[in-house]
Amino acid sequence: MNAPADLRARPSADEVAAVVGKLTQDFPDRAVTSNAVREQHGHGEGMADAALPDVVVFPHTNDEVAGIVRLCHASHIPVIAFGIGTSLEGHVAALYGGVCIDLSQMNRMLEVNGEDLDCRVQAGVTREQVNAELKGTGLFFPIDPGANATIGGMASTRASGTNAVRYGTMRENVLGLTVVTPDGRIVRTGGRARKSAAGYDLTRLFVGAEGTLGIITEIQLRLYGIPEAISAAVCQFPDLKSAVDTVIVAMQHGIPVARIELLDDVQMDVCIKYSKLEGYKSAPTLFFEFHGSNAGVQEQAEMMQGIAAEHGGSAFEWATRAEDRGRLWKARHSAYYASKACYPGKEAFATDACVPISRLADCVLESKADADATGLVAPIVGHVGDGNFHLTVLFDGNSKAERAAAEGLAKRVSMRAIAMGGTCTGEHGIGVHKLEALVAEHGEAVELMQTIKRALDPRNIMNPGKTVPP
Amino acid sequence: MLDASVHAQLAAILPAAALLTSPEDTRPYECDGLTLFRAQPAAVVLPENEAQVVAILKACHEAHVPVVARGAGTSLSGGALPDPLGVVLSLAKFRRILAIDPLTRTATVQPGVRNLAISEAAAVHGLYYAPDPSSQIACSIGGNVAENAGGVHCLKYGLTVHNVRRVRGVLITGEVVEFGSEAQDSAGYDLLALITGSEGLLAVITEVTVRLCPKPQLAQVALAAFADVEQAGAAVGAIIGAGIIPAGLEMMDQPATRAVEQFVHADYPLDAAAVLLVESDGTQEEVAAEMAEIKRLLAESGATQIRVSKDEAQRLLLWSGRKAAFPAVGRISPDYYCIDGTIPRAALPRVLREIAAWSKEFGLTCANVFHAGDGNLHPLILFDANKPGESEKTIEFGDRILQLCIEAGGTITGEHGVGVEKLSSMCVQFTSAELERFLAIKLAFDERGLLNPGKAVPTLARCGEFGKKHVHAGQVLHPDIPRF
Repeated sequence: MNAPADLRARPSADEVAAVVGKLTQDFPDRAVTSNAVREQHGHGEGMADAALPDVVVFPHTNDEVAGIVRLCHASHIPVIAFGIGTSLEGHVAALYGGVCIDLSQMNRMLEVNGEDLDCRVQAGVTREQVNAELKGTGLFFPIDPGANATIGGMASTRASGTNAVRYGTMRENVLGLTVVTPDGRIVRTGGRARKSAAGYDLTRLFVGAEGTLGIITEIQLRLYGIPEAISAAVCQFPDLKSAVDTVIVAMQHGIPVARIELLDDVQMDVCIKYSKLEGYKSAPTLFFEFHGSNAGVQEQAEMMQGIAAEHGGSAFEWATRAEDRGRLWKARHSAYYASKACYPGKEAFATDACVPISRLADCVLESKADADATGLVAPIVGHVGDGNFHLTVLFDGNSKAERAAAEGLAKRVSMRAIAMGGTCTGEHGIGVHKLEALVAEHGEAVELMQTIKRALDPRNIMNPGKTVPP
Repeated sequence: MLDASVHAQLAAILPAAALLTSPEDTRPYECDGLTLFRAQPAAVVLPENEAQVVAILKACHEAHVPVVARGAGTSLSGGALPDPLGVVLSLAKFRRILAIDPLTRTATVQPGVRNLAISEAAAVHGLYYAPDPSSQIACSIGGNVAENAGGVHCLKYGLTVHNVRRVRGVLITGEVVEFGSEAQDSAGYDLLALITGSEGLLAVITEVTVRLCPKPQLAQVALAAFADVEQAGAAVGAIIGAGIIPAGLEMMDQPATRAVEQFVHADYPLDAAAVLLVESDGTQEEVAAEMAEIKRLLAESGATQIRVSKDEAQRLLLWSGRKAAFPAVGRISPDYYCIDGTIPRAALPRVLREIAAWSKEFGLTCANVFHAGDGNLHPLILFDANKPGESEKTIEFGDRILQLCIEAGGTITGEHGVGVEKLSSMCVQFTSAELERFLAIKLAFDERGLLNPGKAVPTLARCGEFGKKHVHAGQVLHPDIPRF
C-alpha cells in the first residue's frame, strides 16, 4: 500500500508515544495498548489486511471524544473511529497507526419521541439494540444490513440492506447528527425539525463519509410504526433471468414490497446446507416480505404471485409466523458465512454493485457468466428491489492466480455497474478497496471530494487513506 | 454596467437576442417571488445549451463577475435576486424533457422544465413526480433542486433531495460535473445532497434525473374542523404517533380559511378555529383501512366535523384552497409576506398563540397555513407597502416569528431557503463551527465567491457584527468571532 502523497509531517515515534502516554493517563482503564485489543481493532470483516492502531480508547461522552481528537489534532496523529468492526472494505484499518476511538461504550438510547417518530442514540448503539429498546412502543427502525452493526458505523458507511427498497438507506433515515470535527469541536447538524432548507446539507455530507470528515457520536433516527401485518414468502424459478425479470416487473408496477431478495442457485445451495432449510431446491430463488394492513399485504402478495407465475415461478411458500420469518431471514443474512463455511479454507470478499432497475438483468446475468468463466465459486445474493446485488467471491488465498482472478472479477463487476449508469458500491462504501472504482465512477467530482476533504480536515488526520484518493 | 471586454466575450458566445443589457430589458429580472428586495443586474444571459453555459461561466470567472442563476423566478427568499454588478444566467431555454424511463421510474430533464410538466409527461406511464411545491405549475425543476423544494406531499414522499437521483452541473470555473448516479446509491461523499438546497452557490444545474413514483390507485382527503388550534395540533400528533404517515397533513387557521374560501369556494367550515386536511393514498383496501383509522383518531381528538372526499373532483377542490392560499391572500391584501419556519410539532399551540398576540400588537393580520405533518409553518403577514412604516413593521414581525421558531427547537426555513432574506437569522441558528464548515464547502466549489454572492451563507464577519446587536438571554452571539 503506498502512502498518500499529502500525508506529510508524519508524527515521530516520540510524538506518538507522548499522545499514547497522555491518553493512558487520562483514561486509565479505557486506553488500551495490548496487542490483542489493537489486533482486534485493526481490521473489519472483509479482506484480512489488518493495520494496527497504536492505542484504542473507549470514550463515554461527546466531550471525551472531542478531547481525544483535539489531542491528536495538535500532534497530527491519525484518528480512526471504530464501531463494532463489521465493515467490509477495510474502513477501520489503521494504515498509518494512530488512535482508534472505539465508540462501543457510547451505547445509550438518549431519547425516543413517539409522536415525532424519531429517536436519538449514541453512536455505539447497535441496530438490534435500537429495536430491542423500542419494544412496546409500536415503533421500529427498519434498516437492516444483516450484521448487527452500530448505528454510528451504519451512518458512516451509508449502510442499506434488505429493507431499503421500501424504507430507503441511512441517507433517508438519519435526521441529524452530533459530530466531532477534526479540530475537536462538537457540531450538531439537522435536528428535530423534519425539514430544513438552511445551509448546506452537512448531515448527508457526514453520512457516508466513513469517518474521514469527523466522528459521528450521536444520531437522530427516523422510526416507523410496526405494520399491522407482516408476511414473508419464498418463490423458486427455473433460471436466474426469470427471477430477475420478476423483480423488474414488480418494481415497475410499484408494488410496495418491503424486502425482495435474490439468491442464485449456488447461493441457495449453500444456504440450504448451512441453515438447514427444508423443502427447497438449489434453484434461483426470491425471498419476499410484505408490510401493511391485513388487506394491503394480501393484495400486494396476490399481485406479486401473479407476476412470479408469469415468469415460471413456483407457488409461494408462506412464512407468516414471526419465528418462521426469523428463520428465513436468518438464512438470508447468514449467506456470507454460509458460503465461507461450505468452502472451508477459502477466503472470501463481497462485491457491491448497484444499477438502475432497467439494467439489473443485464448486470446480474453478465456478472454470473463472468464468474463462471473464471472458474471461481461466486454465489450471488442481492437486495434486488433497489438494484443492489453482491457476489461472494471465494478463492484460495495461497494461490496467487486465484487471488488475481478474484480481484479481476470484482473489478469487472464494479466497472460493469458503473458503465450501466450505476455505482461500485450500493452499501458497503469505499474504504481502501474501491478508491480506483470511485475515480472511474465520478471523474471530475472526485476532485471536488478531495477539495472538501482538504477543506474540512486540512491536517488529514481523520481516517487517512480511505474514501477519497489522496 | 458590464465591463466592455466581458460584454464582448458574452456577445461572442450568444446570439444578440440572448444577451440583455438595457435597463428596460433587464427590468423583469430585478426580483423573484420575494418582491421586498430588488436589484437590476448588469446583464441577463439566456443560453440554450450547456456549451454556452460553460463559456459564460468561464468568461465571468476570469473577469471576476458575479453570476446568479435563475429558473422560473418563483423563489420566496430572494434566491434569484440579481447582483447589481453581475450577470443573471436564466435557464428559461432549457425546457426539454430528455428521457422518461418507465422501467427504472426516472425522468431526465433540463433544469427549466416546470415541476408539473414532469408529472404531465410521465402520466402516460402511470407515474408522477412527487414533490409538489404550491408553485408547481410555474416553478422549474432546476430551482427546485437549488432550493430543495418541498410541498404538501413531502411528508410521505420526501423532499426534493429524496427524489433526485443525478444532477449535472457546471462549476464557476466551467468544469462540468455529475453528482449522484442513475442507481439508488452512489459512491463517495454525498455531493448530490450538497448541491440540493445549495441555492445556486455551488454550481449551475444543467440536467436533472428525478425519481418517479407510481400513481396511487386511489387518494382520498379528509377535512376535519376543530374549535381550537391546540386540539387540531393534538390530532396531528395522534395520527403520526399511531404510526400513520399520511400522504399529506396540512393545517389552516381561521384567517386562512376565510381568505381562501372567498377565492375557491371549497365549502370550508368558516366558524372553525382550525381545519386539518389529511390525505391517504394507495390501493382501495389500504386507503379504506387507513382512512377509517384516521377518522377515528380525528374524532377522538375532538373534531367537530369530518368530511371525506367522495371522488377525485372533490379531493382536488379540498386541496385547491390549501394550494391557492398565497394567491387568495394576495386578493384580499395589497401585499403579503410569507414566513417559512419549522418547529417540533409539539410547540405548535404556543407558537400560534404568540403569533396571534404579535398580530394584535403590530396591527397586522396574519393567516397561518402549516405543513403540520412535518412541522413547517407558513405565516402570511398581510400588509400594505404603500402605507408608511408597514413594510418595516412586517419585517420586524417576521424576524420575531423566525427567532421564536429557533427558540422552539426549529429552523428558520423549512423549504423556501435562506436567500437574502434570512442571512442574519443564519447567525442565530448556527454556531461558528458550523458556519465555518459551510464556508469551507463554498470555497471548495467556488474559491472566488462569484456564484450567487451574498446569499444563503453569511460571512463570519457579518455574524460577528450581527451578534453584537443580538444579545439573547444576556449572551452575546458568537463570542468566539474576533471583532474590530
